[in-house]
Amino acid sequence: MKKAEKIKNAKRLMSVLSLALLAALAAIGSTPLGLKDGQVAPPYSKPHWLDSKVASTIELRVSSSDGDSAALSWVYSPPLRVWLTGTLGAGSAVRWDTPSGDFTLTREPGEIDLDFRDIPFKRALGISPFHDMAHALFPSRGEYALSLAGSGDAVMRIEGGRWGLLGTDHRGRDVAALFVMGLRVSLIVGIAATLIATLLGLSLGLLSGYAGGLTDALIMRAVDVLLSIPTLPILMVIAGIWGKDLWSLVVILSIFSWMGTARTVRAMTLSLRDSSWVEGLRAIGAPRGYILFRHLVPETLPLLLANVALGVPGSILAEAGLSFLGLSDPRLPSWGRMLHDAHMFGAFTSGAWWSILPAGIGISFICLIFMDIGHKLEEMADPRLAALTKRKTIEETS
Amino acid sequence: MTAALKRAGASAAVLAAVLALNFFLFRIMPGDPITGIVDPRFSPEAKAQLAAQWGLDRPMSEQFAVYVKEMLSFRFGLSMMTGAPVWDELKRRVPNTVALLLPALALSSALGIWLGVKAALNRGSALESAVLLSGAVSFSFPSFFVQLLLLMCFAYYWRLFPLSGTTSIPPPPGGMAILDYLWHLALPLFSLVVMGFGGFALYIRNMMVKALGEEYVLMARARGLPFRRVVWNHAFRSMLPPVLTILLLSLPGVVSGAVITETVFSMNGVGRFLLEATNSHDYPSAGAAFFLLALLTVGCNLLADVAYVLVDPRARRTGARD
Repeated sequence: MKKAEKIKNAKRLMSVLSLALLAALAAIGSTPLGLKDGQVAPPYSKPHWLDSKVASTIELRVSSSDGDSAALSWVYSPPLRVWLTGTLGAGSAVRWDTPSGDFTLTREPGEIDLDFRDIPFKRALGISPFHDMAHALFPSRGEYALSLAGSGDAVMRIEGGRWGLLGTDHRGRDVAALFVMGLRVSLIVGIAATLIATLLGLSLGLLSGYAGGLTDALIMRAVDVLLSIPTLPILMVIAGIWGKDLWSLVVILSIFSWMGTARTVRAMTLSLRDSSWVEGLRAIGAPRGYILFRHLVPETLPLLLANVALGVPGSILAEAGLSFLGLSDPRLPSWGRMLHDAHMFGAFTSGAWWSILPAGIGISFICLIFMDIGHKLEEMADPRLAALTKRKTIEETS
Repeated sequence: MTAALKRAGASAAVLAAVLALNFFLFRIMPGDPITGIVDPRFSPEAKAQLAAQWGLDRPMSEQFAVYVKEMLSFRFGLSMMTGAPVWDELKRRVPNTVALLLPALALSSALGIWLGVKAALNRGSALESAVLLSGAVSFSFPSFFVQLLLLMCFAYYWRLFPLSGTTSIPPPPGGMAILDYLWHLALPLFSLVVMGFGGFALYIRNMMVKALGEEYVLMARARGLPFRRVVWNHAFRSMLPPVLTILLLSLPGVVSGAVITETVFSMNGVGRFLLEATNSHDYPSAGAAFFLLALLTVGCNLLADVAYVLVDPRARRTGARD
């Protein structure tokens, strides 16, 4: 028993720590981690660690200020695509040394932007327009060097099939960067929507429980009705009509998830309202607002906290579901959106499991963490609840 | 029979709420219908004439009454996508959705009940941990993620099941058509059951553990009844009403899950139709599909209510439910 308790506590600590870690990751964002959004590599590039036989996408930089040569040892087959960009001073040249011969890539002064598939460029180097230039420039394994004679700077971008920690998606975006941005969206939507829903549920539950009568009946019927309408179709219709930006999503989600909290709060309020100490408060002339906000609300708080933690997974899953259906802002990367893209643009017919797994595991993991913390909070809130019901039964029997 | 009336009233309230929501949602969106459909260069007289023709000049309450009448008689208007009556489009899709939903519900609740009871009887066993785990999974894993994984493993890598669709195109002739249909249904159904049974199993396990500690169970065992009978005929029998309540509460979620499932597996059902209609701003179709999904939920609700009266003798007498 003791050992089980220890394991449980360790698990709890783990979830709290991982939540803190994820929150920190979301707060930092992807840019300081050196992850770029936007296109970084060819579509569905593999993760860096996955296949060492494939070349990575890299950039070789040379400039007159910091050294004029960049070396590269190449052990792969020729790359998919090569670019050369930068600016050259007058009389300068960019050279490319390969094991089997050297090329002078350009001597043109001014801005350069050369795709190695350009026919004039091939002609200038004396390569047939029908020949693949990557084969000519990367003939074999060995030591290569890009060098700059003169002034200016140049960047040679060599596109291979590998990129970063988690590869790229269908548009060549870094999955690791998208993951961090999606984490942010999930946390914001999950927590904001649940907080708003909890506030709604708290106020409506208090109102319903304390006012009773017609108000109570109306609110409780509304709860019943909302609980028996399938939410996702409604959310789809509303998101389709009202637009898809993040905050309207938060509002929509919270409008359809306050019911459980309202029920719980109402039940608690009902049992408290008739308890002798509230009756006493009323007898000494305490105003209604004072009783509600100084006595009833604090009583419900521990349970509400647990409710928030337990409600977050629902909001996160609903947001992910809507995004998965394509009903979110397409400019805003989120985990659901990543899975939507993976599904729509054939991630697994390209074998790109790395664009599916991170988002899905992210959602599941963060939901598990919140559930775990929620259960813990519930357990912490429970003794008071138990005491409360006990008090009531004692009153009833006496 | 007041209980039955009360339940029917509750279902009617749900339907009324859905209809009102449908009506007002599509009317508070920006822009009036006339400018959306006709050429903006139409003269004001022509626009007024069109508005009169479509009844848009009548008071809102009258429009609503007409709307309710039309919806209840399944005249949903013309689809903006295809120009065909929406009901003709939906009619072909409803059976596909029902064929996915009902078996999924039946199988996942049956599996959930069986495993839940087993777990409660074998406390501390590996089975119990598995049930607890599957409960956590079904509450925190997004269904579409699991479905994408299933699709990737069983349809793409191992090619045991089709990647998408409700039938092959063209469907095979004769009796093979049914097999083909079932073959396409298998993976979506399996995924719904896998994602659905955990929650049930968890609830059942918790209730069963509690019930087994009750005095009437002890009494039944003391009478020397076979343990099997004690579990199923005494403990489980008394659990049936709350089990049905949970089933009832999970219905909207199951319907929501069907929308996503149909999208993942590109099935020709009401849910995917709703998504397509929403994406192409086809409001009559979207409204009708939503109405049908709500109707399906209410129908299942009523079924569960009937079952409730059957399993709970108190409900027959007083109509008390909670």
